[in-house]
Amino acid sequence: MDQLSQALVSGLLLGGFYAIMVLGFSVIWGVMGVINLAHGEFLMIGAYLAWGLFRFFGIDPFASLALILPLMFLVGYLLQITLINRIVERPHLMTLLVTFGVSIALANLAKIVFTSDPRNVAVAYSGSFQFAGVTFPIVKTIIFAAALLIMGSLHLFLQRSRLGKSIRAAAQNKTAARIVGVDINRVYAITAGICIALTAAAGAMLSPTQAIFPFMGPPFTLKAVTITALGGLGRIPGALMGGLVLGVTEIFVATYVAGIGTNLGVATSFILLVLILVVRPQGLMGGLRPVDAEAD
Amino acid sequence: MTTAPPADKNGNETGKKARFPSLAPVHSLLAGWAGLALWLLLLLLLALYPYTGVSSLALLVGSQIFVLVTLASNWNLIGGMTGYVDFGHAVFFGVGAYIMAILVTGAPLLISPQWGFWQALPASGAAAALFALLIGLPTLRLKGPYFSIAMLGTLVAMREIVRVSRPITGGGIGLNLPPVLNRIGDYYLMLAIMGLVVSLIWWIQRSEFGQSLIAIREDEVGAEMRGINTTLHKIAAFMIAAFFTGIVGGFWAWQNTFIDPDGVFVETRTVEMVMMSMLGGLGTVWGPPLGAVAIYLLQNLLWSNLFELHLLALGVLLVLIVLFMPEGILGTLGDRSSTSLGRLLARFGRNR
Amino acid sequence: MAIENANGLPPSTPMASDQQPLLEGRTVSKYFGGLAAVNNVDFAVYPGEIVGLIGPNGSGKTTLFDCLSRLQKIDGGKITFKGRDVTRARPYQVARMGLSRTFQSVRVYRKMTVLRNMLISHQWRNTSLLHMLRPSPASTARRAHQLLDFLQIEHLAHEDAGHLSGGQRRLLEIGMALMPDPEILLLDEATSGVNPTLIETIKDRIRTLNQQGKTFLLIEHNINFIADLCSRVYVLNYGEKLAEGTPQEILQNEAVIDAYFGA
Repeated sequence: MDQLSQALVSGLLLGGFYAIMVLGFSVIWGVMGVINLAHGEFLMIGAYLAWGLFRFFGIDPFASLALILPLMFLVGYLLQITLINRIVERPHLMTLLVTFGVSIALANLAKIVFTSDPRNVAVAYSGSFQFAGVTFPIVKTIIFAAALLIMGSLHLFLQRSRLGKSIRAAAQNKTAARIVGVDINRVYAITAGICIALTAAAGAMLSPTQAIFPFMGPPFTLKAVTITALGGLGRIPGALMGGLVLGVTEIFVATYVAGIGTNLGVATSFILLVLILVVRPQGLMGGLRPVDAEAD
Repeated sequence: MTTAPPADKNGNETGKKARFPSLAPVHSLLAGWAGLALWLLLLLLLALYPYTGVSSLALLVGSQIFVLVTLASNWNLIGGMTGYVDFGHAVFFGVGAYIMAILVTGAPLLISPQWGFWQALPASGAAAALFALLIGLPTLRLKGPYFSIAMLGTLVAMREIVRVSRPITGGGIGLNLPPVLNRIGDYYLMLAIMGLVVSLIWWIQRSEFGQSLIAIREDEVGAEMRGINTTLHKIAAFMIAAFFTGIVGGFWAWQNTFIDPDGVFVETRTVEMVMMSMLGGLGTVWGPPLGAVAIYLLQNLLWSNLFELHLLALGVLLVLIVLFMPEGILGTLGDRSSTSLGRLLARFGRNR
Repeated sequence: MAIENANGLPPSTPMASDQQPLLEGRTVSKYFGGLAAVNNVDFAVYPGEIVGLIGPNGSGKTTLFDCLSRLQKIDGGKITFKGRDVTRARPYQVARMGLSRTFQSVRVYRKMTVLRNMLISHQWRNTSLLHMLRPSPASTARRAHQLLDFLQIEHLAHEDAGHLSGGQRRLLEIGMALMPDPEILLLDEATSGVNPTLIETIKDRIRTLNQQGKTFLLIEHNINFIADLCSRVYVLNYGEKLAEGTPQEILQNEAVIDAYFGA
């Protein structure tokens, strides 16, 4: 029973991270119809930035978000206007190939810059605390709280702000949005900026919990696809739900598959993905097509 | 957002006149017996090449190019002809490599006696084909980008599974094969495999089977409705492509004498296959081999001049090819059998 | 029946009870979510008939076609073809049994030439592995050329199918459907987007083929086309069978007029 509640808690904490990790991927897909296979690489860049800031300037990974978010927003914005705008609204295969190329290039760029030695961010509060007989790792608990906070603010932003409404309009009907005077390219660039910044932030928050290396990206990209298939496209509640489901599943596999379970995260997620797609090609929540960024 | 597929763009794509109309007869000749004859002549010349007293390095380079050509042609069968763009084809390479290593070392599973290279080589191909059957049954039901992503997932998941299954695969440490240096033997073996594979693709392309694959690429529902057992044909093409990829993987493991999960189950190897086929011309017989040679030369150029940057450059190159040369070399020269990437793309379209 | 044919008239309905339907659907239903696209439709086509299927847009005609040709799984009911239950068959299986169809949005293989389109659409019923590993035999090519000639698009044989006009593509698609020498042809809006001269050609060809013993089931919006060709007509509305009868009966049926023009 203890093992069960511990697994559940660990799974939910991991799921919170997955939810924040997937958001950028899911919104880019939902709004622009671009399946970003370089998603994991932006996460990796965020993690390396956090590591660099921690290692050379002693900035705490969570504090470094204040720097990483605007920086990566700029990166996303520029990437969108130079490259991705060329492939937006083009068939999926083209976006897949281009982002696949970007992913390979970024991973190998990171290998050149940072070498393939794994890096660690050893924060002082890497311990854990007990509550009701269950162990809570401090960092992961903070990530979970931060994830909820960020998702809440993004939700508010998309629902309330004028820009957020433009993004939702662009996701729903590009032509109509253009007719009523939405500057689509600018909206896309801002969307990409937000998404890339969020993804990098997820990477930065991840940095204290696992080793950072250039080729850490692809598993996250795949998990992002799985979560999107689970929770639907571009929806914040869907991302949260999908993330939690995957997180709990993964931890349960790790807990109850003796010996090798801990290292089967991608395999688990892959099997889940193929099952979902074969049984329900439209995704579990029926949303694997560009839908409203904020349907619920 | 769910705008109709760009039908007008489609029209442009197909309505566009070939840029080099004078080359059309050449293309139609190359698809026929003349093409095969030229190919056999080239094979003969390549077979005589070692007799000119070349260095062992030249032989190594030769066998490496043959490996690439074989891989590109194989990928083209499923990705170019059948239109299922496989982002994880390297998984069959990896399976072949591991089966070879496990069988010839015999150690992990205590298979005894250990298998010889000649028994293990077909076994690695067969294992890859069997794996393709298992994986293909669910994944080939997926369409367009979902198939691509599912195959990428297969690749990454297999890397993980192989790393975890230490008792059988040696885990992350990898496996060492008995070092046998036989450059001339490697050269001829790969030459034979390459000759076989490319000739087979030529044969398939002319046969009704090959035409049915192209029909599946162009319109799967239509093909099914006109009596083609699309599932069977897709699986068959997938298994053939996997079989030879597995053989090449097995050969590579033998030649390299060391394998580990990160060395064989790598995305870059898939990227290479995709790029070589695309650069040469998807769905053509001679495009992928041409693309393979071009990529090899390009890579070597990059390798010697930029060293560490070459994989980075590979990624950038992929982006550039997709954006600026989507029809490949042969397509750009007006080969009609080449499917432009644009066609394939339009078919995948946004209408899921 | 023999007498009627001698008079040059299409066989009338209903058929003699000893005649077995060629293609039959009983209480066929298909739902999309909560929406009934086809609801409890009973349906039969007898050998040698030309049957029309009409109805306003969105009335479930094409969905019914998809169900009959097995592209859609049905949620209820039973479909028999040539006396065999094909409710769970796959599309290629009913195709090999002798059912061909065309599509509302024409499906041809655009990157292949017209001739290759035809060649690959041959009868796959008894195709051996050895046969598949060879180029198409001369007999298939002969038949392809004959059919192209019959449909008056022989001169386009070496053109890419993607280069054809909409009407030419429809003809090609009909040709592809004829390649396997089917017993029944399901034509989905064979005349839409086709110029009047070509429509006459298509009509004439359907008549000729029918006299040679081919059965037809047509989805049409062109009422004249239906009235000229069909012996019986089914009318669908909101996924349900609204009426059936001869074209004359249908055109005077109040419910049908209501459905088309609104009450």
